[in-house]
Parts: sequence; structure tokens; C-alpha cells
Amino acid sequence: MPYMRLLLAILAGKIIALLTRFFHIGGGSAAPGLYALKIEPKLIEKLIINIPKNIVITGTNGKTTTARILAHIAQEAGLKVIRNHTGSNLERGIASALIADYRLPTTDYRLGIWELDEAAFNSVVPKIKPDIIIFLNVSRDQLDRYGEVDKIVNDWCDTLSKLDPKTTVLINADEPDLAKLKNCFSNTKEFGKKDLKNIKLNGLNGSEFKIKNLIFKINLPGMYHIYDALAAITCAKLLNLPVKNLTNFQPAFGRFEKLPFGYIFLIKNPAGATEVFKTIAPHVKPRDRLLLALNDNIADGTDVSWIWDSEFELLPKNHTYVSGTRAYDLAVRLKYADLKAVVEPNLKKALQEARKGLKGSLFIMPTYTAMLELQKILKKRYWEET
Amino acid sequence: MKLIIGHLYADLMNIYGDMGNIIALKKRAEWRGIEVKLKVKSLKSKIKKGECDIFFFGGGQDQQQSLVASDLESSGKGKIIKEEVERGIPLLAICGGYQLLGQYYKPHNRPKLPGVGLFPAYTVAGDKRMIGNIIIDTQFGKLVGFENHSGQTYLKKTGQPLGKIIKGFGNNGGDQTEGCIYKNAVGCYMHGSLLPKNPALADWLLEKALKIKLEPLNDSLELQAHLQALMLK
Repeated sequence: MPYMRLLLAILAGKIIALLTRFFHIGGGSAAPGLYALKIEPKLIEKLIINIPKNIVITGTNGKTTTARILAHIAQEAGLKVIRNHTGSNLERGIASALIADYRLPTTDYRLGIWELDEAAFNSVVPKIKPDIIIFLNVSRDQLDRYGEVDKIVNDWCDTLSKLDPKTTVLINADEPDLAKLKNCFSNTKEFGKKDLKNIKLNGLNGSEFKIKNLIFKINLPGMYHIYDALAAITCAKLLNLPVKNLTNFQPAFGRFEKLPFGYIFLIKNPAGATEVFKTIAPHVKPRDRLLLALNDNIADGTDVSWIWDSEFELLPKNHTYVSGTRAYDLAVRLKYADLKAVVEPNLKKALQEARKGLKGSLFIMPTYTAMLELQKILKKRYWEET
Repeated sequence: MKLIIGHLYADLMNIYGDMGNIIALKKRAEWRGIEVKLKVKSLKSKIKKGECDIFFFGGGQDQQQSLVASDLESSGKGKIIKEEVERGIPLLAICGGYQLLGQYYKPHNRPKLPGVGLFPAYTVAGDKRMIGNIIIDTQFGKLVGFENHSGQTYLKKTGQPLGKIIKGFGNNGGDQTEGCIYKNAVGCYMHGSLLPKNPALADWLLEKALKIKLEPLNDSLELQAHLQALMLK
């Protein structure tokens, strides 16, 4: 009774999702999939065939933002989108999303947008059998989990070589480490600087650029976000979706977030962190303050060596706080960049202190789990304040 | 006073926060009024005897590692580095650099890479990746770091380990040793970065390089980070 097993797995997943929400023990983005996959290991293959088009997005930085922009374009065009939310980009995250979406009958046209982390890509892509795959970039990130850059690209190559040749593979042409992928698959297309004209970086207010004759405005700062938008737009065009400007687009929490008292920028690896420092440095004013938070949980990477490959030297000498489970490692890193910081490992207290007497803006730069923690603290505060 | 740091193959062998060790050496010298010059020694460069006061050799990926192994041999740089260490020049090598300074490295399914033969040790590729926080007991006190390697290094009878494992895998995950120390050269698997959180080792290397006794610095933050690392899971 293979079909019974699938229904049982979906049911179990739905019950777990309900329970986790009811008892507030998680967002339900991983556990339902994790347990349902134990009952029906082929759950993804069996549910994904109901979705007519599937896109997979991978890379070290920008997955969530790219997925969100693509989803935004698709939804503006009236498509129903299914995707794994909240950066839950392992197999269990995909399964959880499919379970949450599962309803009978399933007749409406939908687009599946799946972000996969560098390692999960290889095991999950053969199950999703996507129509389009987007490779954004590759650099050092949590090497304790993924292995070295060469190995990541070689493994991607292996996975691509076994895919249906009708799949379209979109590659960022300006990332030299990705160039090798062109030799592993026949149907590849590139996106990059060559497609962009009239780039205007308007500081923290976002950016403007032109593709063919269309002007785009995004409320995300920095060149790296333009690449995310370009990847999403290129993919949308391949899907024949009408692409309008992106002014209504709202970024994911913490990737770049405007708060009433400042900004949040996620930092999680050397390439990404250095981009963030470069983006904010020209816009930090004398009365602004900085708050950096470094955690070493599994989702952050348990190796904090990466902070020594990130250019903290670019940060301005403003009043700075450091926090997180590895607050002292950050304090040492800043000291060696000739920057001083107040150490407060407790993030809630650090935030309180940093806001006390704040006359300018607070630039908060957390790692992934510190960002989730921050989200909880701030949500609670908003409720208390409104 | 001037300190010249020779960064070996900085463009090819530079991962897992290796830069942190260079930054630590540079800053700790500068804070004491010593001028620092960084020289990158890679494929096309030569090393002259007496040119560098200290060497640093970081980790790399497999492809780069084999390129570097053959360059060390063919260019004669390996021999010069060995002679410099013999006459007391200090050196720090992490992970891939440590492996290439041993007698040889045997990767999976590929021929042996020749080593410089500076450390009386050899390395064979293992199946299991040894990943996690590591603490060892040494002549410099406890050292803390993060290891991430599948190569298993074995010391010869004459090889003196850098330290004894308190937590983690170390050289090979079996004999409770980590790293190797030969004259003033230290090789080990400890990222983290190693020197910023272990200022005693950083200053020992600097003292050997400059041949002077250094004034202590205020290391309260470094020691707090060290303490925090001692308590990690």
C-alpha cells in the first residue's frame, strides 16, 4: 500500500506542524518534514510531481533574497507559489513545505521555488527534477559542514551530469569558481554584469539598474543584491513571466531590514560579511552605533575562524557592542582591527544597552541564529510597544 | 626594529581563517613599536637565506596542495625553508602547510605528494573528517582551536608532538597527540584562528623571530576568548 504510506507521512507531518505551532516549539519549517520522511522516504518525489514548474536556487549567499524576488514576480503575475520559507534549505525543509501545501484536489497552476544549501543540493535536486537551476556564487561558508570550495563545485558537477538535459542551468558569469559548471552540462545560460546598465547605488535606500530597456528599483542596498535581483529576473523571463519593476518587493527579515531605530544586516561568511561592511561603511554617521552578534550554533557554523577572513577593518570607529555565544571572539577580532567594543554576550541585554541614549541609528549585524533570536526579541517588543 | 613575515603560498594556501594568524603576528609586533613587512612567497618567487624572520604556511584545497608540493621541491624553496628552520628561524604551519612540511602526504587514489621533510611526520588521507573544537596541553599552556581535516598525521619516533589532546582528535584521532614542534617550527591542525586566542604561542614565535624578550601586552580580551573556548562543547 504505497499510497497509504504517503498519506500517513503527510498526516504525521501535518499533526507535528500543528503541535509545534500550538506549543510554540518552533516554526514548523523542519520537524514535520523530518518525521514524515522517516515514514515515506520518497515523499518529495511523490508530491513534487503535482507542481508543474520547479526552480532550484543554490549558492553561498543570496538564496533567500533571490527566491523572494522570484516569488514576488510570480505572485504579481498571478501565479501561486510554493517555496521553503525561513531559510530552511535542507531536505526536511522542502518536505515540510510540501506537506503544509498538500491539499486535494490540486489543480491550480503553481510554481515551486526551492532554495537548497550547497550540500543538500546534491541529494535533493535529483528528487525535485527542477526545470531551472540557478547558481548564484560559491565561497567559504561553514566549511565544517560543506567541505572546501573545489569539492562543492565538483559535487555540483556530478549532480548536474546526471540530470535531464532539458533542465536549464543559470550561472552567474561573474563568479570564476562557477565557470567549471559550464563543462558539466549542455544547457547552460549565464547572467552577469553584461546584462546590467546604468547601475546606481543609492546607499541604504537601495539601488537602480537597467536590464534591456527596463529600469528596476530595489529597496536593497549593495551590488550583491543587484545580482540576486538579476538572477530572479533572468529566471522569470525564461518562465515567460511578465517582469515589472520591483518597488513593492519586501526583503526577508534580517537580510536587510529597516527598523524604527536602525538596520539589520545578516552576516554569515567572509564574502557576505565583507560586502555588508563595504555597503554600510560610507553611510554610518558619527552618532550611529554598531551591534555585532556572533553565535556558533550548527546553523551558524561551529567554526568561527571565518571572522578572521572578513574585513572588519572596513568598519567605522563608532560606538560598538559585541554579543552572542562567541562575543569574546568578536571582541578580539575587532581589537585586531583597531576597533573597540563593549562586550555583552546576552543579546537581549546588548540590544537594550545599545539603544540606551541612542541618538543616531543602530546597525545590527547578527549571524543566522542570532538574527532569529533578534527577531523574537523585536517581535515581542513591537507587541509591547503597540 | 623590523619584522619580516614570509607568508608561504598565501594566494594558494589560505583557508579557514589562516589570515588571523598573520594579523595576530603583525598587530602584536606593531603594538610594541616594531615595524612589520609582509612578503608573499608563492610559485614564482624565490626565498633568500636570511630574508624572512618568520614563516607562516596555511592550509589549502587538494588541487592547490599538489601544485604547492611540487613547487616546494622543484623550485628549491622547500630546501631553503628547511635550512632556515635548522638555524632557528621560527615557523607556524597549519593543516595543509603542516602536512607538506612532513615527509610526505598520501591522498586517496593518487600518488604520494613529496614533503619538505622538516617535521619527522607523514600523513595519509583518512575516510573520516575530524571536525570540531580542540584543546591541547602544551609547553605554552593550554591551546584552543578548531580542527577540520581528514588527513591523519603520524609522528616518527624522533617527532615531538606540540601537545597532548584534552579534547578533539588531533594528529590522527588515535594516539592523543596533536601537531609537531621541531626547533622553533610549529605545525598543527588548529584553526580558530590559532594565534589570536593563544597569545602565549604568538609571543613565543615573535620572540624567536626577533631574538628579544618582549614586553607583555594587555591580553584580557584574548584570555577571555581563550577561556570561553575552553568551556565549549
